[in-house]
Amino acid sequence: MMDRISRWLSQGAMFLSAAGLVAMMLIICWQVFARYVLHAAPSWTEQSALYLMLWFIIFAAAAGVRESFHIRLSLLQDTSPPARRKAMRLFCHGVVGVFAAYMLVAGGQLVAATWQHDIPTLGLPRGSAYLPIPISGAMIVFFCVEHILTEWQGREVEPLWN
Amino acid sequence: MELAFLLILLAILLAMGVPVAFALGASSLATFLMLDIPAVVAFQRMAASMNVFTLMAIPFFVFAGDLMARTGIAERLVQVSEALFGRSRGGLGQVDVGASMMFGAVSGSAVASVSAMGSTLMPMMRERGYDADYAVNVTVTAAILGILIPPSHNMIIYAAAAPVSVSIGDLFLAGVIPGLLAGGALMVAAWRVAVRRGYPKGEFPGWAVLIRALIMAVPGIITALIIVFGIILGVFTPTESSAIAVLYTILIGAFVYRTLGPKRFLEAARGAVKTTAMVMLIIGAAGMFGWLFALLKGPAALAGALTSVSSEPAMIMLMILLVLLVLGAFMDMAPLIIITTPIFLPVVMETGVDPVQFGIIMLLNLGIGLVTPPVGAVLFVGCAVGKARPEQVVKTIWPFYLALIAVLLLVAYVPALSLWLPETFG
Repeated sequence: MMDRISRWLSQGAMFLSAAGLVAMMLIICWQVFARYVLHAAPSWTEQSALYLMLWFIIFAAAAGVRESFHIRLSLLQDTSPPARRKAMRLFCHGVVGVFAAYMLVAGGQLVAATWQHDIPTLGLPRGSAYLPIPISGAMIVFFCVEHILTEWQGREVEPLWN
Repeated sequence: MELAFLLILLAILLAMGVPVAFALGASSLATFLMLDIPAVVAFQRMAASMNVFTLMAIPFFVFAGDLMARTGIAERLVQVSEALFGRSRGGLGQVDVGASMMFGAVSGSAVASVSAMGSTLMPMMRERGYDADYAVNVTVTAAILGILIPPSHNMIIYAAAAPVSVSIGDLFLAGVIPGLLAGGALMVAAWRVAVRRGYPKGEFPGWAVLIRALIMAVPGIITALIIVFGIILGVFTPTESSAIAVLYTILIGAFVYRTLGPKRFLEAARGAVKTTAMVMLIIGAAGMFGWLFALLKGPAALAGALTSVSSEPAMIMLMILLVLLVLGAFMDMAPLIIITTPIFLPVVMETGVDPVQFGIIMLLNLGIGLVTPPVGAVLFVGCAVGKARPEQVVKTIWPFYLALIAVLLLVAYVPALSLWLPETFG
């Protein structure tokens, strides 16, 4: 069950991110086209492309916790005997999980505190640009629990993105 | 006291194997709480440092470079380079360096370069009796030329990480001469080793082959021209030029080279998303870290520590080069640019170094770290592609390291090498 949800979240984040990337590209190309061909620079393009990126990139970063693609130094782990390596890996998942819990709670406070302000060119609440922080925090907590449970059983979460 | 806590905790978490972004975030967060600053302030810093327009250029550059690498342009560039450099002694080594420089102008990613060049040139080298260690030595060291030769997404990361405003157009121009110089130095090293080992000369493949290869390579090379001249002439912002480069690459990949299908497209998109997600999360966490580091007067403490050894600008530069070389051997390029730029740049600027020049110094310095053990992504990809053991490769790579270090020292102590082009044309 947990495995199914985790795969679904990770694949979903990947396809959304790829679609977001293409949409971002089209928005910025439209900005250039409008400026040079239509002689009217739209005011919404740059801000909305950045808004889009903040959303999809943080989800991809959350999926990266499941896929273990975040850069880390594995030297000490690789040279440790199996028992110590397992303990170190559990510790690492724990640190990531605790940080993500703060992303959820303190990130949520940040969203609440900035919800009344508008992003000038978009008319959307500033807080909505930060909403991905608590959401991805929740996703990362989930992935860390999955990592810890599978690691405990002596297995590893199988990456999907490669 | 709090500064020491922050740095020691960071070092412990990194050594334990916590991903860089989370090690930065967790050590900063712990320090925030120790200082009784609410955690929400930390996440405000995180959000603020990711909410920057220029950062959008990173996914686009990575995407365009990755797409280009999948169109099969690498083979064309190798043919052009072979026609130009193939006749000298140990010709394929020169061909490798030349093609890597051209590939650097279309991709800018050292890992993409080593896998593209390696899978094209290493089989050719094996066929003509070159040793596997030589093939890997040349290919991995030449791959880092792409970091210096514009366009290069690592320059965008540097510009974003710098605490002062640094023009991306200037950085692009500044990388050209050091990139060519490093390429020249590697060619000399490749030639010397080839002479000593008695590798064969190549043959000129004929004008017809050269012209055909050039025609096929030109659409790819144009990407670099669009980006570089678009930015320098002020026609596009870096973000715009990189987005246009993506669109252009998709069009020529699908309609000119006809090698780009939906599957390769999705793979490239996934690669771009992955790299960007990794880099952006580190930038966010480094936003927390950098804010604390400044609050705790870290830059002053570091400058004090460095000047207590020597107040000579040349010595301070040398110490920073050594620190970056050691850090680069253990950690990847992007996180190190993001973490060390705000720490070192103010110190060297005090001694009169231009931030554009320091950017080039840092990229070359950390680039060397990509081909040194124990952690060297480019070195290990090169060994995997070339089917050579890293221990064997590292034993004979010294002439190539020396060539790059000589160029690094030149770039560090002769500002004109990086600053002349941006000052003349910027």
